[in-house]
Amino acid sequence: MPDDIAEVYRNTYPALVRFLYRKVWDAERAEDLAQEAFARALVHRPENTRGWLFVVAANMARDEARKALREKRHLTLLKSEPEVTESAPEESIDANTQAQRVRVALEQLTPRDREALLLWDAGMSYDEIATQTGLARGAIGTTLARARRRLVEAYDGGQEGGQHVARG
Amino acid sequence: MSHVDEGTLHAYLDGELPSGERAALESHLAQCASCRAQLAEERALLERATALLGSTRPAERAVPPFEQVRRAPRRPWHMRTGFAWAASLVLAVGFGYYVSGALQRRPQPEAQPLATTQQNRPADKAAASEGLRRRKQDSGTIASVTPPPDANPRSAAPLPLDTVLRIGDTARPHEEAGVTAAPAAGAASRLAAAPSAQRADTRSAENLVSTAWPVISRGKAASLLGDRPVGVPGLATRGIRSSPTGDGTIVVEQALDSKTVIQIFQRPASSAQVDELGARERADRVLARYVGRLRVEISGPVSTDSLNKLLELVEPLP
Repeated sequence: MPDDIAEVYRNTYPALVRFLYRKVWDAERAEDLAQEAFARALVHRPENTRGWLFVVAANMARDEARKALREKRHLTLLKSEPEVTESAPEESIDANTQAQRVRVALEQLTPRDREALLLWDAGMSYDEIATQTGLARGAIGTTLARARRRLVEAYDGGQEGGQHVARG
Repeated sequence: MSHVDEGTLHAYLDGELPSGERAALESHLAQCASCRAQLAEERALLERATALLGSTRPAERAVPPFEQVRRAPRRPWHMRTGFAWAASLVLAVGFGYYVSGALQRRPQPEAQPLATTQQNRPADKAAASEGLRRRKQDSGTIASVTPPPDANPRSAAPLPLDTVLRIGDTARPHEEAGVTAAPAAGAASRLAAAPSAQRADTRSAENLVSTAWPVISRGKAASLLGDRPVGVPGLATRGIRSSPTGDGTIVVEQALDSKTVIQIFQRPASSAQVDELGARERADRVLARYVGRLRVEISGPVSTDSLNKLLELVEPLP
């Protein structure tokens, strides 16, 4: 029902943008993808709109990342330049900001841990996260505990590393 | 109960532990200092991780109207910055060309090609302004492409190109056009895209002479809509009127202040209308959304941003 989707849109859009942003690291692109996901929901009319949106959004973000990687390789070949290994497409991100360090830390998590953490942060319940990720419901707490610990450790590790380099 | 694992503690802290397990955990915690200490640790970890993650939020932006989602497939994101300026130029010139074309469709002995308008035609501001006003008032004419009686011969002349381009910028009603209570999106562009002339006539009546709409009671409005009429909570409702065409559209007029009145047009949305309107709105920038089963549009003499925000607040009136 379109009315239901409109309601889900109002309640879920910001969370979906946030979820996507942490995958594509570009606010405008995250918004585009979120709106595209809703546009597809209007066509498909899924039973569980919210869950469906996050699955579709995650798939679109993955496809975008692959496409961006292919294009980068292609450009690299065209230009015959060595591939830039830094994975930051967003020029505006200052390498020294906390956000950038969190981003690096987040990318050190396993995909499954990261997904669970991002879904929880997007407001999903354990049941919903279990459905999305295929994990057992009883394993979500453990997964989130691990994800949080690794995020904090990776962040602190990165920060210490950065300070060490700065001192050295 | 043996000592508690961290997964259970996180589920407990997240409020996701089933009630039976929660009770067992709490009674264990009451007796076990070691688990209480671990709980405190896990809580600190959870708060830290949440704070870190919170620092990577994108800048908060207003949720765009749901209607935007219904528009044509979105451009690939990387095209936006690179081609945005070019696209806006094409739109401006295209709109200018359209306006010029519409004017040239009026009876004229010789149609003037657009190029000649760039030369020093009688660049009479009054004539241009008159032309603009006529376009707004006769917007039904544009939709149906019926030539009006040509009272002012000068208005038949194509507008100078610079004027034409300025019309493209007319996102909001211009004072110079002498239009009051015009819609947020340009009436001309909205109506030009209307699928039927009858609909276009209705719209121009709504936007220009809504005082011709009979005042109705709230109960009558609810029976026309099949639902409670909607409005912005907290704003004084000046009146509710219904469309004289009897198409089920009503307008709720609310006062922002003593001088500023916004109009909230609403009618029941059937699925057929949803699709038809979805197609129509790809061509313009009507501020509209659905509230329950109602399709709601807003207009008023304030900025598009403000209208957008007001539209987001709309809910069934008490």
